[in-house]
Amino acid sequence: MFKRSKIVFWSVVAVAFMGCGPNSDSGSASDDIVQLTYWSSQNPQERLLATRLVDAWNLSHPNIQVTVQPLPAGQSSEEVLLAAVAAGTTPDLCSNIWPGVVSAFIKAGGVLALDSFADFDSLLQSRVPPTLHDRFKAEDGHFYQLPWKSNPILMQYNVRLFEEAGFATPPRTYSEFLTAAERISKDLNGDGRFDRWIGYRNIQPIWHERFFDYYSFYLGGTHGSPLFENGEVAIDTLTSNAVFEFFGELYRRNFFPKTKFQGNAFVSEQIATEFVGPWNIAWLQENAPPDLEYAYAPLPVPDGLQGDVHTYGDYKNITIFSNTKYPKETWAFAKYLVSKDADLLLLELATQIPIRRNLTHDSLFTAFFLENPKLIPFADQVPLTTGVEGVPGFAELLDAIAQQFEAASVYGIRSPSEATRRAIARIRVIQEWNK
Amino acid sequence: MKKTLGYIALFIGLIAFAYPFVWMVLATFKPEVEIGSLAPFPSVWSLDSYRMVFETIPIGRAFLNSLIVVASVTCSVLFFGTTTAYALAKLKWKGRETAFNIILFTMMVPFMVMLIPLYTLVVSLGWTDSLIGLIVPFMMNATAILILRQSFLTLPTDILEAARIDGCSEWRILFTIVWPLSIPAIVTAGILVFIGSWNEVLWPMMVIRQEEWMTMPQMVALFSVGGGAQSKLGPQLAAAVLLGIPIVVAYLYFQKHFISSLASTGLKG
Amino acid sequence: MNWKRSKSNGSGAGLGQRIGYVMAAPYFVHLAIFFGYPLLFAMVLVFHRWDIVTPMEFVGLKNFTRLFHDDLFFRALLNTGLFLVIHIPLQIFVSLFFAELLNSKLKGRSFFRTIYFLPVVVSGVVIAILFQQLFAFETGYINSVLSALGGERIPWLVSPEWAMPTIALMATWKNVGFYIILFLVGLQNIPASMYEVAFLEGATTWQRWTRVTIPLLNPMMVTVVVLSTIGGFSLFIEPYILTGGGPLNSTLTALLYIYNQAFYFGHMGYAAALGLFFALIILIVVLLQRRFVEEDIY
Repeated sequence: MFKRSKIVFWSVVAVAFMGCGPNSDSGSASDDIVQLTYWSSQNPQERLLATRLVDAWNLSHPNIQVTVQPLPAGQSSEEVLLAAVAAGTTPDLCSNIWPGVVSAFIKAGGVLALDSFADFDSLLQSRVPPTLHDRFKAEDGHFYQLPWKSNPILMQYNVRLFEEAGFATPPRTYSEFLTAAERISKDLNGDGRFDRWIGYRNIQPIWHERFFDYYSFYLGGTHGSPLFENGEVAIDTLTSNAVFEFFGELYRRNFFPKTKFQGNAFVSEQIATEFVGPWNIAWLQENAPPDLEYAYAPLPVPDGLQGDVHTYGDYKNITIFSNTKYPKETWAFAKYLVSKDADLLLLELATQIPIRRNLTHDSLFTAFFLENPKLIPFADQVPLTTGVEGVPGFAELLDAIAQQFEAASVYGIRSPSEATRRAIARIRVIQEWNK
Repeated sequence: MKKTLGYIALFIGLIAFAYPFVWMVLATFKPEVEIGSLAPFPSVWSLDSYRMVFETIPIGRAFLNSLIVVASVTCSVLFFGTTTAYALAKLKWKGRETAFNIILFTMMVPFMVMLIPLYTLVVSLGWTDSLIGLIVPFMMNATAILILRQSFLTLPTDILEAARIDGCSEWRILFTIVWPLSIPAIVTAGILVFIGSWNEVLWPMMVIRQEEWMTMPQMVALFSVGGGAQSKLGPQLAAAVLLGIPIVVAYLYFQKHFISSLASTGLKG
Repeated sequence: MNWKRSKSNGSGAGLGQRIGYVMAAPYFVHLAIFFGYPLLFAMVLVFHRWDIVTPMEFVGLKNFTRLFHDDLFFRALLNTGLFLVIHIPLQIFVSLFFAELLNSKLKGRSFFRTIYFLPVVVSGVVIAILFQQLFAFETGYINSVLSALGGERIPWLVSPEWAMPTIALMATWKNVGFYIILFLVGLQNIPASMYEVAFLEGATTWQRWTRVTIPLLNPMMVTVVVLSTIGGFSLFIEPYILTGGGPLNSTLTALLYIYNQAFYFGHMGYAAALGLFFALIILIVVLLQRRFVEEDIY
């Protein structure tokens, strides 16, 4: 018996070792074929997109063969990327780079300056709306990221539920939203508790959840002026208070439930609104019953606020990592990923918005938008988005706000103004610590 | 009367410990909309949840990876664990007590403290995205050594002494005398290591990024918590059931052995 | 090996010197590489600022001054303590109760024992996915049953008062099968004659319990307390998946806070300092507990 287990042991070890030696194939292939590794996002829609794009590329470029791997998402894919940069195990390029993490990559020397390629400037000029140019420029004046897509956060609402409650148009202000909440949140089974709500947010105090409530609403209330200026905290106290108060009232009056839904509560019509990016359309198209009628509108703003409504834009860009052996070929592939055809495929398969000038007016895309009008509000919103701020350690700073959001809005144990005051104080403490 | 009360209590325990699993398994056969309902059985039995799991993630491959990792870790822990425990229990050498205290100390340090340095070490060894990175750091295990040592201590020294006089080497004594006499302890240590290794999530999450080398718990966690399940509950639960099946089957197979071995090992106190 | 020469030394005292080293060596070589080196590295790390990506920067004792001013970390330590205070007595009570039942002459004991052990075997991932659904406030199965029976819904994971007890309940549910078996072993090791004596002296059930069972179970009790203390200190995956540390930091445990500092905020050096400090606390608590042991539990 022991002999057998020993044999099993060694054979298993042998199998393990044979199966997983370091990737030795990259250099051993014949010299004229370049092998590139490309990390894509891991959700099914984007994986399909990546596979389709790579298959087409490999067919037409026999000498530059690309392998696509999904970037595994834990609670945050930035964690994975940072670890990979540190370890030098990055791929040649990755298309799912959150701009908030790029400054760390640059500091580590992990990414290539893309403006070293001769045609970068012309590509940037032709692709990216001029108002966005500066946003992607690093402190040293170079560009390390190729702007790929922008996913503005809008309000998704259930058209039928709003119409039944007597609303022909979606709410535009906080008080309109609350009026709608009064009429739409309902106790349907008569047990004395709401079982339909106006909306819902994940209440776990996790910093990146706050992009979809506090942060987006704050930007909406300030016409897009960020929380930080030149690295210093520049929170507009009144707007911040108003956002805390708005969500505070929603939770106080149980218009938002303090629960975690399993499954999609919007599809089951347990909630009537959701604050989401365009990727949600692809998901609903696949998973929602055909009679679910939904539409998109800008986020509600504080009463009396005039002018355009800004929001958070969840930008994802392409970077080339400096450990690539083939910068030129990788750059060629990166350019292919932002070509018109690729952008169209991004819209079709993943319903996400490429960063592209005159997107809705370009003849190649107009047909698509005619067929998919739900995406138009997102495309129109792109110029009115703010991405992530270029302040170091943004995650930790947003976490300070998440703590106060929980206290003031979700649980109401603190006044909004006190919450804002504490958030600012905590941010200063953290920045002092991290100096 | 007392007996009836005893049975009632046992059945309450049965419901408390087993019903959640029963509910979960039944839920995986329900259409998505019925999962929240109180009805225990699905109105229509559906395999959609499982279909989605198998279509979305290579869970068979992950199962194989898990199996390789767990088998290698368990065998290695038992092999080296018995040699170390034997040396600690039945051989006399300078520094033995210190060595034993060091082993005790390693159990006090939370894994989280070691996580980053260990990760950087594994990276510099080039073991990311390979099963080696999951196996080698865990080839030894202090708990197993404690259990084995405790069991070896109870073995009568006369037998070993007699074998030595007959000219047996210590290796032979270990494998032909000590091992057969210590099956319960070996099984106990083996199962504990097996369970721990099978269920490990955090470490594979850090070391493995390519899908083809992912272990089963890692893949299921990513599928459920990450975007793979598309926030559908049925497939999340189905993936969880698939993750649970192998270990439950293994446990049911060994449990007779296991529980009686726990009863006769070093955990006597 | 050279056992003959050893034998000529007379007794077995000098026996196995060399072979002892040889047999123990693989473990300690492995330990040096995969425990010693990381531990040393962590010791170096505590004096540095490091975000994994950029080079390390020496900051002296700054991480420790920060630690002693970090209210949230002390909150996390307190929470961990609160968890232990609920979890350990609950675990001992429940497992002892079932162990006693399973030690009696009831039929089907091995079946029940097998079932009670199931949660121990099943992965924390499975359990977290399951409990997230069962304990959800508005839509969860347990609250649906409660309200169908006309009871009040319980804010299991969404109220600061309930969240940690709920997590303690889940952790107990998950582990209790293991401790049932430990106690069962302990009970079976109590000689039947002791009970007979008690019976002859006319002791009541309660007296039999307090005068025979509990005292004789003491060594096992200590084992259980030490093991569940070490396990309880490493509470992480339940709050990580179920609450993210909320509501209002009520389930923020020490390990969760250390994890956040390291992986969310990139403060590796600070996390290492927190980790070492925390390890020290565990060591002290466990050593204090072991003072109550009459004989070495190992």
